[in-house]
Amino acid sequence: MTLHSSDLAIHARGLAKRFGAVQAVSRIDLDLAPGEALGLLGMNGAGKSTTLSMLMGLRAPDAGQALVFGHPAGSPAARRWTGATPQATDLPDQVTPREILTYAAQRYGMAPAIDRLIADFGLGDLIDRRVAGFSGGQMRRVALALAFVGQPRLVFLDEPTAGLDSAAQDAFRAMARSYVAQGGALVLTSHHWDEIESICSSIAVIDRGETVLAGRIDAIRGRARITRLAFDLPPDLVPPLWLGASQDGARWQVETSDSDTVLRRMVAEALPFANLTLQPLELKDLIHHLRQGGTRP
Amino acid sequence: MIRHLFAELVLTLRVLFRQPGFWIPTVLFPAMLYAFFGANSGGGAWAANAMASFAIYAVLGVGFFQFGVSVAQDRASPFATWQRSLPGSALPQWVARIIAAVIFVTIAVALVIALAHVMTDVGLPNSAWIRLATVCLMATVTATLMGIALGCVASARAAVPLANLVYLPLAYLGGLWVPPMAMPATINAISEWTPTRAMGELAWAAIEGRAWTLQDLGLLAAWTLAAAALVGVAQIRQRRTFWPAQSGQASRNS
Repeated sequence: MTLHSSDLAIHARGLAKRFGAVQAVSRIDLDLAPGEALGLLGMNGAGKSTTLSMLMGLRAPDAGQALVFGHPAGSPAARRWTGATPQATDLPDQVTPREILTYAAQRYGMAPAIDRLIADFGLGDLIDRRVAGFSGGQMRRVALALAFVGQPRLVFLDEPTAGLDSAAQDAFRAMARSYVAQGGALVLTSHHWDEIESICSSIAVIDRGETVLAGRIDAIRGRARITRLAFDLPPDLVPPLWLGASQDGARWQVETSDSDTVLRRMVAEALPFANLTLQPLELKDLIHHLRQGGTRP
Repeated sequence: MIRHLFAELVLTLRVLFRQPGFWIPTVLFPAMLYAFFGANSGGGAWAANAMASFAIYAVLGVGFFQFGVSVAQDRASPFATWQRSLPGSALPQWVARIIAAVIFVTIAVALVIALAHVMTDVGLPNSAWIRLATVCLMATVTATLMGIALGCVASARAAVPLANLVYLPLAYLGGLWVPPMAMPATINAISEWTPTRAMGELAWAAIEGRAWTLQDLGLLAAWTLAAAALVGVAQIRQRRTFWPAQSGQASRNS
């Protein structure tokens, strides 16, 4: 299946941005289709924020281009269909969520669906209180509502759940999944791997300003079917060398792409293991594994 | 466009009027200076002249200083960055700022004039008041645009000292504190090119019933256009370069 670039929510090729002597981003390629959620991963300083700001059209790239539904990022047509959160700690103190949501909706040329936003983001008792004195989590809920107020077809969320309690996090995840299920496109950065996995269908890993790994999560998992065996051993016993086990606290663990063979041999050699667990490798470790192996898409 | 402008104006005025700590001193300051240095001028033409000078000074202080500086400070905020990601052009936001400045200037000028009525025996025909109000309105647009231009060019920290460095000399050079005829010849030669002198000349002509000269109107228009052009250039430049969202990002992630 090939998609024309105007069908894609995001189509970015060769994005580069330099700040003075610092090459923040040197080669970013991204695609995102409607009805998909993309997790943007990378360490602090890898270039995530710079990439986001170029996709949102807040900064012009030095090289390359970013298209949003076929329109240059930041163009009036692109901004009409895009939503984003303001940095949550920086809403004007003097206004209420209702007032600021109304303002944002008017910028999209519509009236805000206040009742739906109250329900989706738990703003019931906050809606007519001035923002001054809101907690971090309360601010964050208002900020999230602002990203969705204009009924955008593409939403950028930078660390959306930082500061939210777990109930609010769950509510947000459910809301994000239903937005994507209804055809919305979502770009998410997060330090919570479980959040990425529970919302996103694809990921892009950015390292030193380049996309080093990009693809669907299920395809990445399929490419490296690695499982982790973990077990206890009596305190004075060391596992045999062939196992390549490493110690994690009191437990030993082995990462392997052929857990059946490993397990048969452990049984055959009568290794006195206990409390054995078998789990697919977590996404974070899987990516680490793939990158260690030098695997590039 | 009108809807967008309305939204910007409502947000701007809400934020400003709900900060009495900002707007009360802002509108009181020119009247206070007038009470100290302008109102003791006795009566007659001299009193009217001083009142007009301080009315223009009020325009400059509120339009140029307060609103210009606030642009520099807002521009650096993540909220302003987010506003740029919303649909619609940047123009309504600037127009809303100028309208807000006009509202605050009107209050500040009204206080100066009210004080003039209390402390002096100033009396002018209606046509003079209307012309003075017109000058104040034109001058507000110029002063606010100049302030916004300075706010766009200077960093948030540099804006206050820079604005002081520009606005106090401008008030002096324009003859708002010392009448132009009391200036040394060299100062007067510079004075004739300043926007504040043009504002002052137009205001004095209004209360003295003289016609406005093309030279003063032209000078004011030239400064207005130059400031608007600088704002436009700064807007384009801003889209291309770095702003402090980056530092906020780093601290949030840590």
